[in-house]
Amino acid sequence: MQIAIVIPVDLWEDDSEGVMTAWLFNSGDEVDEGDLLAEVMVEKAQYEIIAPSAGVLTIVKHEDEVVIKGAIIATLDA
Amino acid sequence: MTTKKATRKLTIARAMAEAIAQEMRIDPRVFVMGEDIGPLGGVFGTTRGLITEFGTERVRDTPISETAFIGAAVGAASDGMRPIVELMFVDFFGVCMDAIYNLMAKNTYFSGGKVRVPMVLMTSTGGGYSDAGQHSQCLYGTFAHLPGMKVVVPSNAYDAKGLMTAAIRDDNPVVYMYHKSLQGMGWLGTEKGATVAVPEESYTVEIGKAAVVRKGNDVSLVSLGAGVHHCLRAAEVLQKEGFSAEVLDLRSLVPLDREAVRASVGRTGRLIVVDEDYHSYGVSGEIIATVVEHNHTCLKAAPKRLAYPDIPIPFARPMEQWALPNADKIVDAFRQMMLNQ
Amino acid sequence: MKPTAEQRLWMYRNMVLSRYLETRIESIYMEGKTPVFNMANGPIPGEMHLSNGQEPCAVGVCAHLTAEDVVTATHRPHHIAVAKGVELDAMVAEIFGKATGLSGGHGGHMHLFDARVNFACSGIVGQGLGPAVGAALSRKLQGKSGVAVAFMGEGAANQGAFHESLNLAAVWKLPVVFVIEDNGWGISVAKEACTAVPNNHLRAAAYGMPGVHVPDNDVEGIFAAAGEAIANARKGLGPTLLEIETFRLAGHFMGDSEDYRPAGEKEGLQQRDPIPRYRRQLLDAGLLDENSDAALVNEAQARVETAIRFAQNSEFLSPEAALDVVFV
Repeated sequence: MQIAIVIPVDLWEDDSEGVMTAWLFNSGDEVDEGDLLAEVMVEKAQYEIIAPSAGVLTIVKHEDEVVIKGAIIATLDA
Repeated sequence: MTTKKATRKLTIARAMAEAIAQEMRIDPRVFVMGEDIGPLGGVFGTTRGLITEFGTERVRDTPISETAFIGAAVGAASDGMRPIVELMFVDFFGVCMDAIYNLMAKNTYFSGGKVRVPMVLMTSTGGGYSDAGQHSQCLYGTFAHLPGMKVVVPSNAYDAKGLMTAAIRDDNPVVYMYHKSLQGMGWLGTEKGATVAVPEESYTVEIGKAAVVRKGNDVSLVSLGAGVHHCLRAAEVLQKEGFSAEVLDLRSLVPLDREAVRASVGRTGRLIVVDEDYHSYGVSGEIIATVVEHNHTCLKAAPKRLAYPDIPIPFARPMEQWALPNADKIVDAFRQMMLNQ
Repeated sequence: MKPTAEQRLWMYRNMVLSRYLETRIESIYMEGKTPVFNMANGPIPGEMHLSNGQEPCAVGVCAHLTAEDVVTATHRPHHIAVAKGVELDAMVAEIFGKATGLSGGHGGHMHLFDARVNFACSGIVGQGLGPAVGAALSRKLQGKSGVAVAFMGEGAANQGAFHESLNLAAVWKLPVVFVIEDNGWGISVAKEACTAVPNNHLRAAAYGMPGVHVPDNDVEGIFAAAGEAIANARKGLGPTLLEIETFRLAGHFMGDSEDYRPAGEKEGLQQRDPIPRYRRQLLDAGLLDENSDAALVNEAQARVETAIRFAQNSEFLSPEAALDVVFV
């Protein structure tokens, strides 16, 4: 089963664009539910992307790519 | 899950915060003070999440009063606590240096070794993002010059966590200087190479041990902090030109691993020191002296240094970028060295 | 708050002890320094700041303290060290720079540390305040008893460290008492010439803490004010600023010509010497008589002479010991 990791629409207040500043796992890594996967920056604030479930990570939006709320940034294969 | 343990990466900011949290869990004497280190989590992310877990007694936002709260850390450390204090920018040392170099660094000596001052002063260094000359300095040499305090400078998250744990457990004062461009705060132009795999369990990196981060035979590139990443990029370029550069990450300035410097230069016969701190009277001169005082015959060429010119750090981007060390300058320095040899 | 008979005698005894100690240091310090005053010469080289005249500040405050309480003192520390119970032989040996000194001679007269009684001092004006605030914070965080007292001269009230430390102590409501020994002179500059308020205790208002003024170098006035401030700190009621009007009978340091003093000031001060004055009070109160006073003075002098002999008979550490104890 594949689960999409999306940027939650309530992660920050307005509809500003963000940028992927860090992936803390690589594509192909196994991650657990609740793991801190990535950081997204909006202006000077950094927001956390947490794994919604366990699985093998495939990164879609790489570091330095610009993202918006609701964007799929990675997938997890359980 | 061994795959995961081996691959989880952290930014230096998170590595520092994780080390502090792990020590706070096992040692009630450890607490943190500084400006904006509470709910904000540190301007450079060094204390993120700590206030949620440990509360306002042990994670204390302070007034903008560095003399008082760094002095207070000295008093608390002498009274059995293990404070960690943050001096937000190292450039701010001008308002509180007495607490640092006359109290923190000297009380152990003046007491004949009977008073211990186990505290960590963590402070951000470095420029490259047009913050000008009161928020961009490194000042490594300034602190390393003054006796009585250990000085560490991590270049990656693995070392950052291990050095922080070692610093907290050390019975001496440790100045922990982290470079802003390595923190993983995107708005500071993050150096990707600093965000590396970090074990979840607690560990230490010994203070006073340099690390060969890339092996080579033709030249020793000796650096610290952000400079290590410039050296690694230069080494890649030189490899394409048929030369193998060794990169030595000093990691600690006090104590300085002079043996590692001498051993590397002894193998390669050539030395380039890369330092974002000021050129004169500083780290770069000390590294060169470390080699030539010991054995000048090991050198095949005169050593070189790439350091910040002896000027206040300018604001305008072209001027600042021109003045900073970078990989191109290192490659050029090596080429010059080979031409003049 | 009134001192008990025992406390009164304790204060008197410690003033006598401190004064005699300094009288002896004064004379030994000058050995090798006449006719040419070379500070590096003699059995006690270096700078020397005597506290004679200021003894009431030390005893009036320290009468309320025990070994577990923390004191940070100044470049003029002897009277406070004596009253705090710093080990006398080791203290005098440190003033001589000997191996048996508190710190083996690494510190000297301005850097006396005795962890046994939580005493420290620093040679930089105003810089003991931050550490006192931190020691008080440490006690709060550890849930341990004990208060911290930071002594300073009136000149320190114009240092940034004073304002930062008072504010921090008040914001965090810490068990610390700030004690100003106002001797009227910052080396050669009169307080009126450099301080914008007539009395520094008024500055406490800026930090929302009580500011208490004790005039006239009065032993029991100091005892009462300090007692209340320290009791409040122990009760968790936060810091107090205590300003004591005192005076130094000597110069800022040994070798000071004191030409800056107005004519007659020094002679006038000798008339107000707090030790004969307190002696008279205790005689009048029937706590002392000529015989018991002589015995007390003899005992204090004998104690000091023992400490001085101990220091004189002690060896220096080897010169290379200079390299030790930078780190532990």
